[in-house]
Amino acid sequence: MAGLTLRNVGKRYGALSIIKGLNLDIHDGEFLVLVGPSGCGKSTLLRMIAGLEDITDGTVAIGNRIVNDLPASKRELSMVFQSYALYPHMTVAKNLAFGLQNFKMPKAEMERRVAEAARILQIEKLMDRKPRQLSGGQKQRVAIGRAIVREPQLFLFDEPLSNLDAELRVQMRAELASLYARLGTTMIYVTHDQVEAMTMASRIVVLRAGKIEQVGTPQELYTRPQNLFVAGFIGSPKINMLQAKVDRASGEAVATVPGLPAFSLPTLPSADDGLTLCVRPGAVHIGAGEVMTQGTIRLVEYLGNESLLHIALSSGQVLLVSDNGKTSYRSGETISIGFDRSDLHYFDAAGQRVEPIQNESRLQ
Amino acid sequence: MLTSCALQRDRRERNGRILKHVFLIGVSVVMLYPLFWLLASSFKPENEIFGSLTLWPSSFQVENYTKGWTALPMSFTTFYINSAIVTVLSVIGNLISCSFAAYAFSRLQFTGRSFFFALMMMTLMIPYHVVLIPQYVQFLKLGWVDTYLPLVVPRFLASEAFFIFLMVQFFRQLPRELDEAAMIDGCSPFKIYWAIILPLSLPAMGTAAIFSLIWTWEDFLAPLIYLNDIKNYTVPLALRLFLDQEGQSAYGQMFAMSVLSLVPVVIFFVLFQKLIVRGIATSGMK
Amino acid sequence: MIKRFIARNAPGYIFLSPWLLGFFLLALGPILASLYLSFTKYDMVSDPRWVGFANYEYMFTRDRRFWKALEVTFTYVALAVPARLIMALSVAMLLDKGLRTIGLYRAIFYLPSLLGASIAIAILWRQLFEQNGVVNQVLAVFGIEGLAWITNPDTSLYTLVILAMWQFGSPMLIFLAGLRGIPRDLYEAAEIDGTPKWRQFTRITLPLLAPVIFFNLVLQTIESFKTFSSAFIISNGTGAPADSLLFFTVYLFNEAFKFFRMGYASALAWVLLLIIGAFTAIAFLTSKYWVHYENERD
Repeated sequence: MAGLTLRNVGKRYGALSIIKGLNLDIHDGEFLVLVGPSGCGKSTLLRMIAGLEDITDGTVAIGNRIVNDLPASKRELSMVFQSYALYPHMTVAKNLAFGLQNFKMPKAEMERRVAEAARILQIEKLMDRKPRQLSGGQKQRVAIGRAIVREPQLFLFDEPLSNLDAELRVQMRAELASLYARLGTTMIYVTHDQVEAMTMASRIVVLRAGKIEQVGTPQELYTRPQNLFVAGFIGSPKINMLQAKVDRASGEAVATVPGLPAFSLPTLPSADDGLTLCVRPGAVHIGAGEVMTQGTIRLVEYLGNESLLHIALSSGQVLLVSDNGKTSYRSGETISIGFDRSDLHYFDAAGQRVEPIQNESRLQ
Repeated sequence: MLTSCALQRDRRERNGRILKHVFLIGVSVVMLYPLFWLLASSFKPENEIFGSLTLWPSSFQVENYTKGWTALPMSFTTFYINSAIVTVLSVIGNLISCSFAAYAFSRLQFTGRSFFFALMMMTLMIPYHVVLIPQYVQFLKLGWVDTYLPLVVPRFLASEAFFIFLMVQFFRQLPRELDEAAMIDGCSPFKIYWAIILPLSLPAMGTAAIFSLIWTWEDFLAPLIYLNDIKNYTVPLALRLFLDQEGQSAYGQMFAMSVLSLVPVVIFFVLFQKLIVRGIATSGMK
Repeated sequence: MIKRFIARNAPGYIFLSPWLLGFFLLALGPILASLYLSFTKYDMVSDPRWVGFANYEYMFTRDRRFWKALEVTFTYVALAVPARLIMALSVAMLLDKGLRTIGLYRAIFYLPSLLGASIAIAILWRQLFEQNGVVNQVLAVFGIEGLAWITNPDTSLYTLVILAMWQFGSPMLIFLAGLRGIPRDLYEAAEIDGTPKWRQFTRITLPLLAPVIFFNLVLQTIESFKTFSSAFIISNGTGAPADSLLFFTVYLFNEAFKFFRMGYASALAWVLLLIIGAFTAIAFLTSKYWVHYENERD
């Protein structure tokens, strides 16, 4: 097992820069998820760690060893691919053993590991089959099995669940989590699906356009997004964003948001005239809250355990509101909604989070 | 109304199909007639070969075959052995060298790859006649004339770019993740070639092997230039000797030996038709 | 830095090395050597003697057989390529739709192409078109008196064109693959719109098949320029009768390996290379005006 250190890591294709000077410390035994929209460079970064892509700038170190010039075959890591990449001409058993044979492992040890992996993943009955005779979920298990027999110091996953149907994905997600709990090996996991990121990660790295937007635990990302991008990216349903004008004429900062009554802001370490206020759909309440307004229901998405209401304010802006689903609403209905100021996230004109200064707000 | 209309259409379609079959069968007869004529003539007595359209011989002259086999100064046993040596070595050479090059072009990253690939594609166009003279001069200086080396050694240097192209087309279809998974599983580039790419490319290798075999078997120009001594002759060169002694009019024997020379090709065609058809369709050559 | 460069490139060049060696020794080297030889007089006994442009001058101004060889070859290419391609396309279109026994026909039609290069077939062809050969006997059934097709200089070339036509199998297979690639729903849509068959052919089949036609055309043209064995055998190795089968390749072969005029033959070889190169270049340069690839837009 090993941690990983990235220092000023960059990837350029000619003039095009895909990864821009990343610094990241991945702790030993951590489940780190790289998440971001497509094209953000997350897969490229993973492939650079794996040794499948050249590192054009900076250094990548596994443990204490810089691996920039080490070929993939010598990095002692395992990778699970989105397409599974099982060897089509080998049986499941051979797929599992292939890597071990390359490392000249004694036969007894090899058989022990293969049997162990097969047992953990419950694929013992499939050992003589060829990949084309397996279902998607079974292929996925074999791919994971191929990774764990190596007992590597580092696991890499490149969107391993995105080829599975929704039900299997949820199931495999849980199994991966329990596999991690059992092995405790460092894992780096790439996904574009923030739900996967939230449910499995010890820490999440949000990437955009080759840069790190925020690193943190799922809770940190959800409760304290560092910028508007992370706020918008993490959390489902998506966070509501309101453009506010700040008026400091009266000595106290007052926010004006079209469609909402003006309300006073806590003390913020920002002098910007315009702020973006974000509030999660779950923090908007029907008929309650410090700041209240009227809205027209445009759409009701009933999901069973909750209802998602699309509510248009008088300004035309639509807010997503998550309700417990016990009351039925009809579209066209006018209702009052509100939220508490403590549930608001504040972002300055540059899109960076501004944190209310707690003491002073308590004084007032 | 509707059903009668459909019925009418069905009938029209069926008539069209029958017409098509009649036409295609007609074309098939024209296509195959020369071959059957050759086969029939090879069994006919000398005086029946010309001047009659009947394919069936009045009596089967198996001597055409037995006599034809030894009609030339050397027996056809020698020629077949010679052809077999050249063919087997050429096929092996082609498979090894062309799959190497194809693997490099399709799966490995290196500076100058697209440049060399373009060069390789250009060599597809070059007529053998253009390189023939300097090659001949060179092989003569090396003392290789009248040996099989000029026919075989170039095959080990991937001289038939067509097969590289065919294999590149096939290799490119294999998912790149396989190489990457193998790399992570500790494979060297050679191990990936040997344990992943080759086993997955057996159809392409088979197609290349069959074409290589048939073309080498039929090859005429290179043996004509490089082989002088009759004891080194391949089958096509031997067949030509029949033409030179035409005055003696041993047509039956000549046809018998011609038929025999085609037999390996036809057998391979029947056995490996699928591979051949697919090979042509994907690579689109010859 | 250099070490990394070598490490990254080494596997590629190692695998490429047989081809690279072959390319320099068997292609590039000989091509350049024959360019040099084409400016010399060389009989393989004494060393090559530099003669400047004398070979080319003689070729273009005084050598009637050179012009004859060009005429024969170009006539052959101009007749054989379209004949073979039209045959291939028509049969492919017949086979493409609604026949279950396509495999058998396909095999029958392809077999001649596979056998075609063999000497046995050339020998057979010679006999088919003899004065008392099969062709004349078939004609006699219809009351037509045949000719000695092979030994008559006016007709000998056509026997080879027919041989080329007989071998339409490979372009047919490529056309078949191409036709398979045309989505059926295009025809169905046209059918619903009441488009007549002929217009379906000119408006759907031909444009969508253009890349395949282009490919076949280029390949077959190059192949036809290279025709040798059949012409050599049928003309007894000389281009007879009356040079009517004096294919460029046959002429070149004789100059080189019968008369050992290696310098002159090299000049001929270079002219052949330039002709084929020019045809290929023209085909590729003009292709953008008439070949539209389906995936061009994305």
